[in-house]
Amino acid sequence: MAGKLELLLLDDEPIVGKRLKPALAKIGCNVEVFEDPKQALDRIHQKTFDIVVTDIRMDEIDGLEILEHVLRKSPRTKVIMITGYAMMAVAREAMEKGAYDFISKPFTPDDLRKVIAMAAQALGSPIDSETADPEEPSEPAETR
Amino acid sequence: MSQKEGNPHHDLADQAMSLEGRSGRIHAVEFTRKALLARRRYSLRLYIYLGFFLIFLIAVGVATSMMLTMDVVEKKLRFLEIANEYMLEIRQARRFEKNFFLHGTNLNDALENVYQAKQILNDNKEELGKIIGKDSQSIILFNFIRYEVLLKRLVDLEQTKRNNPDYPQRKKEVESELSRYGQEMVSLANHLMKKEKEALSEAILRSRHIHMYSLVFLLFFLVLNAYLLGSRILGTIGRFSVHAKRIGSGDFTPIPPGRRFRDEFTDLAIEINQMIRELESREAVLIQSHKMRAIGTLTAGVAHELNNPINNITITAHMLLEDYDHLSDEERKEMVRDVVNEAGRSKAIISDLLDFARESGTQLEPLDLPELLRETIHLASNQIRLSGINIELQSRGHLPRIHGDRQQLRQAFLNLILNAVDASSKGGKIQVLLVPADEPGYVAVKMVDFGSGIPEHTLDSIFDPFFTTKTSGKGTGLGLSVSQGIVAKHGGRILASSVQGKGSTFTVTLPVTTIPADIDSGDNLPGRPA
Repeated sequence: MAGKLELLLLDDEPIVGKRLKPALAKIGCNVEVFEDPKQALDRIHQKTFDIVVTDIRMDEIDGLEILEHVLRKSPRTKVIMITGYAMMAVAREAMEKGAYDFISKPFTPDDLRKVIAMAAQALGSPIDSETADPEEPSEPAETR
Repeated sequence: MSQKEGNPHHDLADQAMSLEGRSGRIHAVEFTRKALLARRRYSLRLYIYLGFFLIFLIAVGVATSMMLTMDVVEKKLRFLEIANEYMLEIRQARRFEKNFFLHGTNLNDALENVYQAKQILNDNKEELGKIIGKDSQSIILFNFIRYEVLLKRLVDLEQTKRNNPDYPQRKKEVESELSRYGQEMVSLANHLMKKEKEALSEAILRSRHIHMYSLVFLLFFLVLNAYLLGSRILGTIGRFSVHAKRIGSGDFTPIPPGRRFRDEFTDLAIEINQMIRELESREAVLIQSHKMRAIGTLTAGVAHELNNPINNITITAHMLLEDYDHLSDEERKEMVRDVVNEAGRSKAIISDLLDFARESGTQLEPLDLPELLRETIHLASNQIRLSGINIELQSRGHLPRIHGDRQQLRQAFLNLILNAVDASSKGGKIQVLLVPADEPGYVAVKMVDFGSGIPEHTLDSIFDPFFTTKTSGKGTGLGLSVSQGIVAKHGGRILASSVQGKGSTFTVTLPVTTIPADIDSGDNLPGRPA
């Protein structure tokens, strides 16, 4: 396994970041979580991520704008959009603008991990989407 | 403003009654029907018949008086004719009498004329008596007989003149007497004719006056009748057209009695009131079905909004399952708490919609408009957020409550808000302003959007049923029509103004509560804060 994937996760729902951070860490991602699109944008300008996962619909800045910023900064970054139900038009627009893929809410952590695994594959640093390595949790795990 | 003028006699109590659902309306229609029928019947048919009968009577009167005067004239003419004949005879007699004295001609011709004249007098004795009176008649007769007697005496004298020494003497005497009576007789007849001629021309003048005055009177009567009949029919038609306009705008109060009597228009009013009842029940169905449509629109927003808590629950539950063995009790509890909270959030998202969707009978209550508007905006909030639009509610000062049906008014405001959302582009703004209306006793809710506006030529038809500018399948064209119907039932109205390219403003004016205490004694606010 190559070095860790640098991943930014942006969703204005706090629980999404809170729960997905450990879930993605398990498959070897170095996850930075943001709820505020502005802060996320600042961070995107500072650092180049391998993968950006962003919600499309947010109050101030929407996912499409984030997508544009990311691709302008680093065209090789894979951007995965989180869309809502009945937002196919927006999802299609995102794909046309260069998003790597999209995932519809509600999704399971495994759904997202599969998409990320494919993106990693496309980046040339494949990871295993199965959470096979419980020995490298980001948080201390209880072992029995 | 003109709509308001249509129903000045409907006070708010009427409006309230008009809102108490279908049973209330049935009661109101029935009550009005009784009031309409309680008056004395004075039908148009009777009025028209009576008018024509009176005209006929006047015509009969005119004709009779004309016939009477004609009769008088005729009689006078006839008398003049007789008098003339009589005159001729006695003049002739006098001529022969003169010839006798001058030339010593025969007297028999004069006697012949006297007999003729006497015949005339005798034939028309009764008529003459009637016309000139018994006294004059006897004077004429006396003169005439005197003359006749003298004439006969003269004839006798003539026959015995050879053996009568006094003949010249006697002849002289008779001559002077004869001339006296003859003159008397002629002058009397002349006088009579003169008098009669005067009477005749007087009768002719009178008949002419009767003609003229009766024509003038007939004209006056016809004009009066036409005016009364016309104003009765036209006035009522005018009243009905005001009612029709009012009913068309959604005010389903039955037509009340407007006159002291009833007639064919009353039957029409009763039928229209029945129709109002039917219309109202249909409108109730329309409002309900349109509400379902609004719910459909809201459901898209709600479904989208529900994604977030469901997603949170899904992720959390999956992670709890996945990491259960590695988590501390505290962490597990936190995750379960998150699931519980998100489930609660889901419930809150749909509860507004469920509350709105719940079918409920019409229920009148005092309503706090700012609160009602907040609720409505909240109901549409998913839709609003989904469209990326900001909405702000401004309530100026303390406004009195209004009286109405919460569900229906919410539906009306929701329609307007959803319209404003549709009209606005992403990132746009909608303002909801609650202000006192220009008219005292009313409050106004202004829905201001800054969208593309409404073209002037369609501004008049936007409240028409089935008028829509949306693509087919997106709008039914009933939203504004239904909203206006609801607002009209509350005694208010909706006005639209728009500047193309700048946006539109829909102003809903509603009457403030002035209903006495029976419904809510605590909320009788004064008309308006100063």
